[in-house]
Amino acid sequence: MKEITAIIRRDKLPETKKALEDLGFPSLSIQSVDGRGKQRGMVCNNDLDPDLPESFCTPAKLKPTPATYALVHALPTVALFVPKRMLTMVVPDDLVTKIVKSIISVNKTGKTGDGKIFVSPIENAIRVRTSETGGEAIA
Amino acid sequence: MKMIRAFIRPEKEQEVVQALEGAGFPSLTKMPVFGRGKQKGLQVGPVHYDELPKMLVMMVVNDGDVDRVVNLMMDKSRTGFVGDGKIFISPVEAAYTVRTGEAAL
Repeated sequence: MKEITAIIRRDKLPETKKALEDLGFPSLSIQSVDGRGKQRGMVCNNDLDPDLPESFCTPAKLKPTPATYALVHALPTVALFVPKRMLTMVVPDDLVTKIVKSIISVNKTGKTGDGKIFVSPIENAIRVRTSETGGEAIA
Repeated sequence: MKMIRAFIRPEKEQEVVQALEGAGFPSLTKMPVFGRGKQKGLQVGPVHYDELPKMLVMMVVNDGDVDRVVNLMMDKSRTGFVGDGKIFISPVEAAYTVRTGEAAL
């Protein structure tokens, strides 16, 4: 058994759920999380409005004068976070690649912030209602 | 790769994130959680708090960076009083970037 943790865009959640349902894996847990990646939580304006020119994505550069230096260093730095959805599902070993591929194909937009998928091992699973363990519990 | 899940005080979250960013680990996911530990919550006079708010910081790093990240988190979130939190480390077999589809962190 493997656990797949996928952190994806909020607006891709219905499509992802649909794609997983079509594969035959309707069972998953969804959680609202805040996250940041290599871009440190910077959201490109093009994500919100596709008509904006590319140059709007770069942060404004202040002319280096003593006043701007003082301004920048007087402000407390705040860590930025982007709201995301985290999906967690436990699946049998042989279907991991298939599910990962389908999540990637649905969520791929080519822009930063598409998310990450982690695959980690799970030792055992138990269904509470029937006390079934192992593969039967997630079947 | 290893997944690090750290349950820290919510007020220490920004400090920890800034320190991690400074050390070159900007990527993480956080979520607010409620929980209790060995002390079964908190007793303040007649009031008993069974579940206390914590921030769960989750990040996946390469094997070699685990010690550094954990030490940094412990340094920054320690106050010396009960309720500083716990850090759990678990294995991750593969990580995929959705944008590129590559199996890389």
